[in-house]
Amino acid sequence: MPALRWLTIIAVVASASIPFPTSARAQVKEAAAPAATKATRVPAPADAYVYIGWPNDGEVIHTHRFKVWFGTRNFGVAPAGVTKANTGHHHLLIDASLPPLDEPIPNDKNHLHFGAGQTETYVELPPGTHTLQLIMGDADHIPHDPPLISKKITVRVQ
Amino acid sequence: MRQICSIAAACVLIALALNPATGAEPRPAPDGAHAYIIWPTDGAVIPGGKFWLRMGLSGAGVAPAGIDKPNTGHHHVLVDADMPPLDEPIPNDKKHLHFGAGQTEARIELPPGRHTIQLLLGDVDHIPHNPPITSRKIAVIVPQ
Repeated sequence: MPALRWLTIIAVVASASIPFPTSARAQVKEAAAPAATKATRVPAPADAYVYIGWPNDGEVIHTHRFKVWFGTRNFGVAPAGVTKANTGHHHLLIDASLPPLDEPIPNDKNHLHFGAGQTETYVELPPGTHTLQLIMGDADHIPHDPPLISKKITVRVQ
Repeated sequence: MRQICSIAAACVLIALALNPATGAEPRPAPDGAHAYIIWPTDGAVIPGGKFWLRMGLSGAGVAPAGIDKPNTGHHHVLVDADMPPLDEPIPNDKKHLHFGAGQTEARIELPPGRHTIQLLLGDVDHIPHNPPITSRKIAVIVPQ
């Protein structure tokens, strides 16, 4: 008997969803989707951009440990988890290509997160040629729309 | 006795309401945290007096005003000003510029002459941390 009642409930829910207008159903689908695949990225102003203030592109660095300074123009910094228009937090890509822009930026040694609102860091890299690039993430670590990406620079650690 | 208690309680409430700084204890600063000015350099000569000031922060994070998160704050730029009182909100005027949206750069325009610039971080309520997170005071010169 309880099984029959459940079947009835499922049938009612199923039939109720059929007459939904397309847009309403799309909204339901979006809400049910996990955060990782959220369809709408947080907008960023067209004039906002990020850049690496230091080191310069092509810099030859004589120490293994050096400071990287994160620059942001026409945009603000906020820690991860803070939802506020025109803000985000920095991620530094080291020897990595751009990650997918519609999901959270990976968190590993090639994708460093600065969710505490940091605007600089020290990195330690072995001798050789390395690339550095910044990308902003929103409260959920997802890039903005348009994405705020710095120029990818190359440094040579000696 | 009960009456005295309620009068005392009312006085405390009034005092709290009148003084916005009360009840907002300065947030502790992380050990060794400091702000610094990346650009311009101390003593820089800036023809025209217009420049982008780049603000650096070591050992702490940036958060917009109103966000209460440990070890974060937002930048304030003191232009031709001394350190304000450290136990109350940083003034908001043309000598004390607030960057409550979490900015780390600011467009500054200065008239001809010698000017000083210094950074001071404010907490969620614009009150400096304890100890205050400040930069060195630098000078810039705008030629006639």
